[in-house]
Parts: sequence; C-alpha cells; structure tokens
Amino acid sequence: MEENRIKHRGRVPQVFICLGKLFRMFIFQNDWKVLPMSAVIAGLVSFVVGANLFKTQEGTLIGTFALACICIWNGFFNSIQVICRERPIVKREHRSGMHISSYIMAHMIYQAFLCLCQTVITIFICQLTGVTFPAESLITSDPILDIGITLFLTTYCADIMALMISAIVHTTTTAMTVMPFMLIFQLVFSGGFFQLEGFTVKITNFTVAKWGLTALCSQGNYNARPMVTLWNAISKLQNMEMDGERPVLEFMRYAQDSGLKDQILIWSGMQNQNPVYAFDPLNVLKCWGFLILFILLYAAVAVIFLEFIDKDKR
Amino acid sequence: MGETSMMALDTIFSFISWLCMTAGYYMILKKCGARPVYCLVPFVREYEISKCADREKEGRTFAVLSVISGIFWIGFKLSPEGSYVAVVFEVAEVAAYLALILYQVRIYNGLCQIFNRRRRWLWAWFFCEPLTCLIWGFNSDFKPSRKLGAKDKNEGVLVSEGGAAALDDGLTVNIEKRTVIDFFRKKDLLKDIHMSIPEGHMVLLLGGSGAGKTTFVNAVTGYEKADATILLRNNDLYEDYKKMKYDVGFVPQLDLMRGYDTVIRTLSDAAALRLPASTTVHDRRKRVHEVLEEFGLAAVSNSMVEKLSGGQRKRLSIAMEFISDPSLFILDEPDSGLDGVVARGLFEKLRAIADSGKIVVVITHTPDRVIDLFDDVIVLAKDSSRTGRLAYYGPVKDAYTYFGKDSMEEILLTINQKEEGGEGRADDFVAKYAGLITESEKKAG
Repeated sequence: MEENRIKHRGRVPQVFICLGKLFRMFIFQNDWKVLPMSAVIAGLVSFVVGANLFKTQEGTLIGTFALACICIWNGFFNSIQVICRERPIVKREHRSGMHISSYIMAHMIYQAFLCLCQTVITIFICQLTGVTFPAESLITSDPILDIGITLFLTTYCADIMALMISAIVHTTTTAMTVMPFMLIFQLVFSGGFFQLEGFTVKITNFTVAKWGLTALCSQGNYNARPMVTLWNAISKLQNMEMDGERPVLEFMRYAQDSGLKDQILIWSGMQNQNPVYAFDPLNVLKCWGFLILFILLYAAVAVIFLEFIDKDKR
Repeated sequence: MGETSMMALDTIFSFISWLCMTAGYYMILKKCGARPVYCLVPFVREYEISKCADREKEGRTFAVLSVISGIFWIGFKLSPEGSYVAVVFEVAEVAAYLALILYQVRIYNGLCQIFNRRRRWLWAWFFCEPLTCLIWGFNSDFKPSRKLGAKDKNEGVLVSEGGAAALDDGLTVNIEKRTVIDFFRKKDLLKDIHMSIPEGHMVLLLGGSGAGKTTFVNAVTGYEKADATILLRNNDLYEDYKKMKYDVGFVPQLDLMRGYDTVIRTLSDAAALRLPASTTVHDRRKRVHEVLEEFGLAAVSNSMVEKLSGGQRKRLSIAMEFISDPSLFILDEPDSGLDGVVARGLFEKLRAIADSGKIVVVITHTPDRVIDLFDDVIVLAKDSSRTGRLAYYGPVKDAYTYFGKDSMEEILLTINQKEEGGEGRADDFVAKYAGLITESEKKAG
C-alpha cells in the first residue's frame, strides 16, 4: 500500500492551477470583452445622470442608483455563465481530484480582478464625462477611493451572486432566464428609488442594491445637498396671472436676485433628509460589512451546490 | 336562496364530485394494475395515476407541486386578510396552480395514449373530471394498453452464488447490488456482477441502452459506490478511494476540455492535478512531453484545443487520463464521431496500452470493426425487472458460441428488449450465465 500514501496537490496549489486556466480564458476566450463593455455602460449612464450627481439630492439619488445598477449589471454579466457553461468539464475535473472549494476560490480571485478593473474604468469614465465627485471622504483620505471601494464591493457582490446562480443551475439557458428576475428584484428592492412599505422594506436588506446605494448616498453626503424639486414645481407656475400680474415670477426673480433661492433649496433639502444616508463612517462601514457578508455567503452556497456536481445526469 | 343554503349545496356537490372521482380512480388504478386503495390518499393518487399514464416523472413533479400549492393555500388562509404576506402566498399559489395545469395536461395526455383514446378526452378530463373518471373507470371498453407489472413486482431472474476470486495482478469486481432510492422507492440498477480481469487485457463492455454500462463503470471506478467489493491489484478501491482514484483513468464520451486553451497547457494542468505532489516541475514537464509524443500530439502542442481534429481531441482526452499512468483505464465510447480508419488507429493505441500491462475497458457501440483487438467481452443486459445484469463475461471467441451469433451487434440485438427492436432474450442469457457460474463454483468445491 506504499502507493496509497502518495499525496496529491492540495486545495491551495489547485487554486493556482484553476486560476491559470481562468486567466488564459480571459485572453483567449474573449472574457476581456466585459471591460470595454463596462466602459460603454459607464459612459452612457454618466452622460445621462452625471450632471447632477453629488450636486443635488435628486441628482445624487438618481445618479447613485444608476451607479449601483451599473455595478450590478457588470457583476451579473461577468459570471452568470462561467460555471454552468463548463459544468461537464468541472465534473470531470472533480472526478480527477479537483477540489470544488479551490475551483470557486480561483473564480473569486479572477472575478475580483475583473470587478476591480471595471471599477477603475467606471470611475475613470465618470471623471472623463465631468462628474463632480464629493470633496470630503469618510473612511480613507481620498473620497474617490471611498466611492471606488463601494463600487467594487457592489460589483463584486453582484458578481459572486451570479457565480452562485451559475453554480446552482445546470445550463446557460436557465442562467440567462433567471438573471433578469434577479436583476429586477435587485432594482425594485433597492430601497431608495422605489417607495416601499411594510414588510417589503425588510426585503430590501437582502439586496446588494440597497447596501450599495446607501453607501454611495452616504458618501455623496445626500442629506447636505439642496433639493430642487420644490423650486422646479414653483417655476412651473411662473406664468400664472393674478389681477394682471405674475406674482410667482416676481417672487422667483426676487429670490434669485437676493440669494433666497439657495436658502430655499437648502431648506427644502433639510426637510427631505434621510437618516439612512447619514454622512457617517459607521454607516458606510455597515454597508460594506453587509456586502462582504453576502459575498462570503454566496461563495459558500456556490461551493455547497457545486459539491453535488457528481449527481449530474449525463 | 339564502347564502347558507348555497354553501350547503356547494358542500354536497363537492362531496359527490370527490366520491365520483375516488370511485373512478379506484377502478382506473385497478385496471392499470396499481394498488386501487391509493385513490384515497391525496397526492399519492395523482402520482399513481401518472404511473398508469406512463408519465411517472411528471407525476412526481405534480405531486410535489400539489403539496407546495397546498402549503401556499394554508399560508394564504392563515395570513391576515389584505396583508402583504397574504398577497405573496396568493401569487405563489397561482403560479404553482398554473404549473399544475401544465403537468395535468401531460398526465391526461399520457392516459389518453395508454387507453388508446383521442386527445379530445383532455377537455372532458379538465372540465368534467368526476364524470370522466367514472366513465373511464367503470366502462369496460376503456382498457389500458399496458399494465404496471413486471418492472414493479418482478425480482428478476436467477442470481448466481458466490463471487469472483481476487486476482493479485488485476481487477476483481464483486457487485452484489447497486441501488438508488428514487422518489421513496428502492430501485436496483445493477445486480449480481462478478468477474476478475487480469492485467494486460483489453475488455469490451457491451450492453443496450439502459443496461447499466455507465452505472457499472461508475461502480467499478468507485465514483458511485455500490454494495460491492472492487479490488485493484488486491487493494480495496472503495476503502481508499481518495488515493486510489488516481490509479483509475476514466475517459468520458464527450471531449470535456476547454476549447480556448492550448494542448500543452491542458495536459500540464491535468498532470498537475493527477501526478503526486512530490513530482518535480522537471519530471512533470518530462512526463507531459512523453505523453504528447506517445499520443502523436507533439506537433500540435501549442495549438488551441478547439482547432484539433476529432481524432486528435479524443487522443488528448485519453492522454489527460494516461498522464498519471493508471493501472485501470476505462473509456466511454472513445470512437464516437470518428471514422473507421481513425477509430482503428485509436483502438490500436489502446491495445498497446493494454499490452503494457494495464487493464483497458472500453464501451463502444460499433465493436465489430475492432473486435480482433479485444481479449474479453462483458455483456450487460436489462432483465425483466429492468435491472442491469451480467449476461456474459469471457473471451470474445467463446461469446459467439455462447450466444449462437456471429457478431457483437447480433449479440446486442439478442439481449435488447423487444420494444427496443431486439429479441428480448436478456433473461435467458442472464439465467444461463448465472447457472454457469453457480455450476463452476460447485465444481470448484
């Protein structure tokens, strides 16, 4: 039984074997295409919502929601098919001694690389299109780095969630059928953009979008931003005539000339503050914590499900 | 008419409907050879009917969905009226109900086929199930074309006594049973398979569809353990599977490799996984290059796997397993998709591997073009209980005499079930072989 004492490569060396394969796939199998795709998406979104991002409350909410959507979209597309498309190969390799935990870990490292690249690209494109980032930071000394970490964690969390789905389903068709539902769920239950009531508010705690959006709003100092909705509503009444005069227009001219407008905007923003988006490092850390927790949870579920790959029928 | 009277009428009507359906289902189950008493058990009744309709798989899903739908209904009833929870339960129940309708169509469609009735009966089943049940149950013109029977009740044919003697230099297979639990039912996939294969032998594994070839291979390699003892060079494969699996090479039917990777990297990764951790980088590279040369892949070592021809890809797939120099080598249809010349070349390579002292077991559906390269043949057959059984194991030449046929394809036709276009003589040969084994055991003392 001398032969039986022979040891084969353990989990850690196997991670590097799998990782090598994944990076070769990145080059040869056109996996790199997700990077220019993320640049195009970031460009489109920042072109549409970038002007008021981190300037007004409305612009910040819409803009950060759009940024969270970019992250989730990128994350989902990075990994939704990566495991299910090569499931029979994984089964064969598992049969030959490959550990599933090593395989998932390699994917996690590789996906982290992709998400990091996409985050850098997104921030670069936002800066290129003239998005004004907040001047103050909460965690690190650089506010852009703070936002970058949030964007990365949101993208990565969505990515690992898609990886989990890819590990659970057996075909790419199923994966691509499930994906839109997951996407819609993330967007509807982001908790910031759509008004939710009752127990649906609790559901938002389980979405990547909620924690990504909350962190971005906090970092963008949402509560200190002016609110323009009230002023915009007033301006729609500027041509209203009363006894041959236009009192609303006159008030607007006076407010603009005297600087009252800015006070109105700030005052209106103060009435619309949301404690959830408090400009507080603990708030951001809590959001990051949840995102990291989800990442670990999704990865664990992916490993558990993929361990049953031997039960796959031919 | 008052609301109370309406409710009473509704209850009476529901009860009469249930009574009609139960009576109808009782008779239908009886006609189909199932246990009629199941008509009284909710969910099980639907499952049994699906078995009558030869739609067992759909029946399982239907039964499970019915249970889930029931849970949603209870959840809905218990939730406060108008609450979000109630809405969620209601939506889920509707979704489950829609799926149930779909499965019901499939099951009723199966019933129509088994009872040789037109599909228009589907409408009757849907819109007037109680009356339809009564008609199908009590009208003697409604007869199923096949009954549940043999496969559920039959224990199969004769079982041989004893097992194969262990070989010091070879593979000893003693499979008592390979059983799975399938939807709360025990199902035998393989039974009573005993053999000893000496080293240096190339063995053909022959069997029709569903005869259990893959199950047998998985049991022998230890991938799916059976109630068995598998000894490879007198080492128990099941007891030390984690280590011994590297001594068994299994080449799947499909070329399961990443297309966008080079040949040399594919093989190097296979070597890194399969060779012992103590192997130096130099030795590993040396082994990779040796195997590349041996399988005629050196010239394409830097090519992408997807650019290889069918034969080259198959050789690479075999090389990936051969890299660890296993004692037992099992190949599932290595010649599928290859033309005669290329397939011949591949089998000659396998013969050379066997001649180097390995055991090579090959599944193929076109054995006659390369039969001269094989030493022995294992014939697996599906007996009347639909269990994979050993119909023959021995030299190729003796197989022709044993079955009274001139080719392997004719042998396959003999043992295949009649509904598969065969002669349906599997039971005869399983019993004959079991008898032969028992006799030789007795003679041996």
